[in-house]
Amino acid sequence: MYKNKKHGVLGIIITIILLILIVIFSNNDGENSFIENIGSKLIMPIQNGFTYLKNKISGDNAFFTDINTLKDENEELKNKNKELEKSLKEIESIKTENETLKEYLGLTEKYSNYKTIPGDVINKDISNYSRTITLNIGSSDGVSKNMTVIAEEGLVGHVISVTDNTAKVQTIIDPASSVSSMLSTTKESIICKGTLEDKSILKAMYIPTEASVIQGDTIQTSGLGGLYPKGLEIGTIKKVVDTENLTDRYALVTVSVDFNKLNSVLVINQ
Amino acid sequence: MKRFIINFSLIIIAFLIYFLQENFFDWFTIAGVMPNLFVIYILFIGLFSGRNKGSIYGLVVGLMLDILVGNKIGLYTITLGGVGLTAGIFAKNFSKDSRITIMLMVGGLTFAYELIVYMLNYFMLDMNLEILIFLKILVIEVIYNIILTIIIYPLFKKFGYYIEHEYQGDKILTRYF
Repeated sequence: MYKNKKHGVLGIIITIILLILIVIFSNNDGENSFIENIGSKLIMPIQNGFTYLKNKISGDNAFFTDINTLKDENEELKNKNKELEKSLKEIESIKTENETLKEYLGLTEKYSNYKTIPGDVINKDISNYSRTITLNIGSSDGVSKNMTVIAEEGLVGHVISVTDNTAKVQTIIDPASSVSSMLSTTKESIICKGTLEDKSILKAMYIPTEASVIQGDTIQTSGLGGLYPKGLEIGTIKKVVDTENLTDRYALVTVSVDFNKLNSVLVINQ
Repeated sequence: MKRFIINFSLIIIAFLIYFLQENFFDWFTIAGVMPNLFVIYILFIGLFSGRNKGSIYGLVVGLMLDILVGNKIGLYTITLGGVGLTAGIFAKNFSKDSRITIMLMVGGLTFAYELIVYMLNYFMLDMNLEILIFLKILVIEVIYNIILTIIIYPLFKKFGYYIEHEYQGDKILTRYF
């Protein structure tokens, strides 16, 4: 009996460790993990040594060439490097200045037309198959149903229900959400729907057959349907998927708002 | 008094599970998929305290979820109520002593529950049908739920038999026949 119990506890501890390992390994997307780092640190010096040896043995004569020519070349390159560094610094200062100026201009341009109510995200969805969020503002702050919710980067979604102090928002990445939108260059109207697959990808459907869709094109709301105002940014086209039938083709759209890090939003009070 | 304490602690556990699901399992995920603790919770109540109590808890917790996070009122209420009812039927027909049985029950019920919720959502809201991706997420979720069941099983069993003894003390022998 006692032995059995001990086995049970051991099994549970092993399961917990396994679960933690699975969670860690399944969630690192492309970045080097701790263990990979250690592995590469152990192996890299040896590999470097072998490569050096191989290069020497394979009879590369460059190793033994005249030192004087090398010295001259070195001097030349050093001078060039100095010049390049100087110009790089100048460009960087110009870049930062440009960015700050753009920021000032963009913010005032974007939101001066709308009256907005600021709010914070206090809840996320508990299900794997829908993506609603809850805000800490409600009807006592002036929020009502079907109002548009935006963030600094672009469109977030619309309010589906309100209480006195909270509002539930259906985001545009919810699989049940569809947004009437248009391509910013050609003004062709399309529909963007949320997908189950990815939290940052929308599926743009019903693209007109004669429309030319370019990768990297930005997408905005079209204002059709009356739910969302015109001209709010949604995202950029990541990839156009051509199917056999031209009417069936669709595009994948990367949303500009990072929904994993979404904290503060604005509700447009029309 | 004993029954009051049992019910009180069950309600506290429901809130605890809600906050766990909301915050902890939001980042502690397997490939971005979180488990569904509510199915395990309702199955547990249905198994150890009978069909009626299981379905009542399912309906109440489901209504709470509908109000807090759902799109349409009634979806979680009906499905979680169904989970409680099924758990009550399972309690009569299967032994609760085996860990494997409980694991299979959790796996099967999670699968059926999420499938029904997805189908209802599909018919009620305007959605694209993405069967393959949905199945992939669902399989990971079922596996996650089963792993969690392995971990919490001892606690589950101890508390469960305590409740069962309190509620159906004289009828407890029937499950051996």
